[in-house]
Amino acid sequence: MDVNPAIRLIGLGETGVKLVETLAVIAPEGVVAHSLDTDNRSLYRCHQSRTFLLGQAIPCGLGTGGDSALARAAVESDSDELAGIVDQADLVFIVAGMGGGTGTGAAPFLANLAKQAGALVVGVAATPFDCEGIQRCNQATGGLRDLKQVADAVFHFPNQDFIQLGDADIGLNQALEIANRHLCESVLGVSRMLLEPGILNVSFADLESLVRNRHSLGAVVHVEATGDDRTDDAVKKMLSHPAVRGGEMLKEANSLLVHISGAELTMAEMDTVTSAIGGCAPTARLVVGASERASGEAIQLTIVIAHTGTLAEMGDDTSSLKPDPAGKVSGLGFSDPYTAFSADSYLDLGTETGNSKRAGFAYTPPAPTADALPPECREDLIREAASEEPNRVKRRKIVQEMLPLEIVSKGRFENSEPTIHKGEDLDQPTYIRRGAILN
Amino acid sequence: MSDSQIIVGLEIGTSKVCVAVGEVSGSQAVNIIGLGQAKSRGVRKGEVIDVALAEEDVRNAIVEAEQVADVEIRSLYLGVTGSHVRGFNNTGVHPVVSADREITGDDIQDVIKNSKAINLPTDHSVVHVIRQHFRVDGQDGVLNPEGMLGAKIEVDVHVVSGRYNRLQNPIRLVNGLHMEVDDIASSALASSLAVLGTEQKELGTLVIDLGAGVTEYAVYSAGVINHTGALAVGGDHVSNDLAYGLKVPLARAEQIKIDHGSALIDPEARDLTIDLSDDSLIPGRQVNLGHLQKIMSMRLQETLELIAKDIGQAGLIEYLRAGVVLCGGGARIPNITKLARDVFNLPVAIGRSSTVSGVKNALDEPEFATPVGLIKFGAFQAQAAPRRAGFGRVIRRQVAALFGR
Repeated sequence: MDVNPAIRLIGLGETGVKLVETLAVIAPEGVVAHSLDTDNRSLYRCHQSRTFLLGQAIPCGLGTGGDSALARAAVESDSDELAGIVDQADLVFIVAGMGGGTGTGAAPFLANLAKQAGALVVGVAATPFDCEGIQRCNQATGGLRDLKQVADAVFHFPNQDFIQLGDADIGLNQALEIANRHLCESVLGVSRMLLEPGILNVSFADLESLVRNRHSLGAVVHVEATGDDRTDDAVKKMLSHPAVRGGEMLKEANSLLVHISGAELTMAEMDTVTSAIGGCAPTARLVVGASERASGEAIQLTIVIAHTGTLAEMGDDTSSLKPDPAGKVSGLGFSDPYTAFSADSYLDLGTETGNSKRAGFAYTPPAPTADALPPECREDLIREAASEEPNRVKRRKIVQEMLPLEIVSKGRFENSEPTIHKGEDLDQPTYIRRGAILN
Repeated sequence: MSDSQIIVGLEIGTSKVCVAVGEVSGSQAVNIIGLGQAKSRGVRKGEVIDVALAEEDVRNAIVEAEQVADVEIRSLYLGVTGSHVRGFNNTGVHPVVSADREITGDDIQDVIKNSKAINLPTDHSVVHVIRQHFRVDGQDGVLNPEGMLGAKIEVDVHVVSGRYNRLQNPIRLVNGLHMEVDDIASSALASSLAVLGTEQKELGTLVIDLGAGVTEYAVYSAGVINHTGALAVGGDHVSNDLAYGLKVPLARAEQIKIDHGSALIDPEARDLTIDLSDDSLIPGRQVNLGHLQKIMSMRLQETLELIAKDIGQAGLIEYLRAGVVLCGGGARIPNITKLARDVFNLPVAIGRSSTVSGVKNALDEPEFATPVGLIKFGAFQAQAAPRRAGFGRVIRRQVAALFGR
């Protein structure tokens, strides 16, 4: 029996397939890669991963043309085969480019399948450049949100961020390459962290406890540095990484998983890294791991940043995700109502294989009512509907939640001149100011 | 005993008002002959907040002291404290202008005068200017430069100052009781005078007076006072923390503190509880001893750490070769010496007024350090500037001489 956690890497849609192909070449042993697409052409280019054509009946291997509803229909028709792919998996990475058809539409469904199979589901979503058009961006935001509500965690890689990294006159190819490289490095960093034995081991359970059922939207940062100042370099690179947004992401993170890997790690190096991160994120839960297996003199830093509200209640969570007897999934807040039934063309295409399969469409949710949604989803929807920058609003909210709202009575000293020492009100009990817990 | 002099020290503290009556003989030996104390109700954080109540308490204490010592108190030395009292060092400079460069008494007077020219906020006034050392042409550690040769003479002084209005409050209160205030002294200085011997001052000692409302501290090194400070945090804060944390009334918290308090957390106390079988509370109410000790220990540790930090910033930790001496009511807390030893990493002792004689319990109790110190302060003052004999005293002396007493 394999002692390592079973990791599945599933690429969805053209972007996802491309990324998984790249990842499969350099992935550590024990990671099984699958490429799933509705487009035959993109699957023909695959050589490293196991391929599967989605929706043989409906789009007939011609792609969805940016129609996420069609993709959803396709993926539902193949749900039995897909369940076989995610079966027995411990960790499923769903790599998808948001904004198109297949990735946007199929990812949440696949995530749901994997979740029911008992796997920890981590979505890896790349969102398009701003210049790709407002519609595509909106579709990406919707897909990202849908995926987030099903997956345990979603690592978000906005391509737009990586533009700022390069010059203004950067080539399109180059820009995509940079974005893809960051994404690949991060996914690999996480896989390696889980599979390689470490001195301070980060196990699958660590990641699981960090993200399971939290539906967090986070980021992964993976940086490498060599030379004499490799630690300082790595920390500098990490802080200037676009996904960290100048430390802002760290500051607002709820939990951080830090993995340091490098040959001949010293205590001082460990300390530099953890104190730099700890300094940025004083309130976050920090899990630190280290391993010595690394190529050359390089030091590699992998940081999983997760920030979420609360841990969803287990019972509530699973029940909301389980399909009800009618074959419908409730509790999934799909932004746009599914319109496949109204589109006659799909039905026509499906007549050959018979309607029996179509009847099993699991994804025919009614427009979600506010009550059917878990409170956090509802808040998300309202907030995102109200703002053009959903992420920023969300983060600000989290910071506000941290504010201590308890007003401590000063008792005897209520009316006397306060004893302020270096900004601290010494009249308040020390144990409250220091956050000691009496239990 | 006709040449002996009666000196009275009064401390209007946050938890109690205390009067000590001392007799200073011709040879400057101090003998405590009476003590009076009363529970203080009109004071918070070392400062009067209710004049009427405080006046009553002071009167009670003085009456008691008069009865015990069998004297009539006309004037006294008053201890002042509060968060507004602060200490700092200053230097006075004076060029020696005489042709032969010999330093004269006038030069010394001038340099001391210069050192008193301190730039204080308008509402502050000076409580003490304590001479430390003279420097002649940069030569350090000169105790008495008179007769030496030099071009420039400097003097280092320690200045204690406070807000004028808030210093006047207790003075006015005492005047209202038809008594004179001979002089005021900062409580930190007074306590240190009571508990330190010459050797400890020479070696370097930190004196911490853990009062109810204010924690004062003074650092002696090389025989002179080097640093003083006050932190408006004390035993009252401990009681208040306990009242808040254990959800008991303040008076009850105070009693629990005295009965069960400890400055360190005893691991065995974690599972112990204290019964609060008091009528005013829900019957069978219990509080956890571990919580009590944790709340208390955190507050005390913080207070001591703030002092350690302040002294560390003044760069004086290395000079404390004789360690730390604790006095005030807080010195009675069990294990406080251990806690202080951990914080300062220095030997810690509880201060006893060993340099005076008299009423035994006045000298053994660390709470009485300030009033006893005030008597010593008064004795020094009286020695430095002998009191001009008033008319009544002259008459009395002549009558006494007449009868050959």
